[in-house]
Amino acid sequence: MDPEVKNSNFSEIITLRPLEVSDVDNLMVWASDERVARFCPWEPNTKREQGLDFIINRAIPHPWLRAICLNGKPIGSISVTKNSGNDACRGEIGYNLAWEHWGKGIATKAVKMAVKAVFEEWGPELERVEGLVDVENVGSQRVLEKAGFYREGLLRRYVVFKGRSRDMVMFSILCSDVENCSL
Amino acid sequence: MRWNPITSREEALTHLETVAIPHPWRRSIGLLDDDEDRSIGYISIFPGSGDDRSRANVGYILAAEYWGQGIVTAALRIAVSTVFADLPEVVRLQALVEVEHRASQRVLEKAGFLREGLLRKYGYCKGEIRDLFIYSLLSTDQLRI
Repeated sequence: MDPEVKNSNFSEIITLRPLEVSDVDNLMVWASDERVARFCPWEPNTKREQGLDFIINRAIPHPWLRAICLNGKPIGSISVTKNSGNDACRGEIGYNLAWEHWGKGIATKAVKMAVKAVFEEWGPELERVEGLVDVENVGSQRVLEKAGFYREGLLRRYVVFKGRSRDMVMFSILCSDVENCSL
Repeated sequence: MRWNPITSREEALTHLETVAIPHPWRRSIGLLDDDEDRSIGYISIFPGSGDDRSRANVGYILAAEYWGQGIVTAALRIAVSTVFADLPEVVRLQALVEVEHRASQRVLEKAGFLREGLLRKYGYCKGEIRDLFIYSLLSTDQLRI
């Protein structure tokens, strides 16, 4: 019996790595999916060129964006934005996952890995990682709660996209909330 | 406030020319005193750009000698009654207030803002990372008397 099939702990088989141009066809699996795009500001991609454009012009230059890989194959992406000046102490997390892999704890795992990585890589300057989740996106709210984020409040009509004002739930995790965080 | 106090007339003039006057929505709080309209503070409303332009940050300042008389609350209510018409893309006004700044929290509450939550270690104010309360007022909210 393959131990990975039996093992429901994904720590050995979920990895994060930078996106590459050769990932475009895997990227299109989730980037073209309406279910994935539903609570995102972007419309589902319909052309491969859009996927290439994203990888070359957004993903690769991004200060911190990684493919979420299952057994080495990209099934989603996760990013943390970097701020400057008075806002340098916080970063904002965002992620997408192919629909077929929802409900298995993969996003939660990827969020935990990303949070640990940015607190380590960005050092003492970063104190807070936050996530803004559409009030109707209950699945993503549960991901952040399971990943150890605190729900801080509901920000009413916080953003407008796809023609509608959105109420967003603000979540945050501090370096001091994370086990073994060195600060 | 996020900036350090201005200590010279030259700094004040520079601030007026480079920050205050080009600002998208800043109104002086004027005091009519012996027919002379003196500025004793200001209210500033700063919309975001691009995807964030439906949201505007509110700030205000008042000369210390006028504190405690309800002036900023009154000025904020006047500002709120016109700003949504002046900036039609803005649907949400928000303000970030330090946890210790009780007077400012009362001003916002009396002007009809709702406290939505505490944002932990949200940003730097004068060199220190602070926990900040976030307040908001929507274009659809009724002004509380």
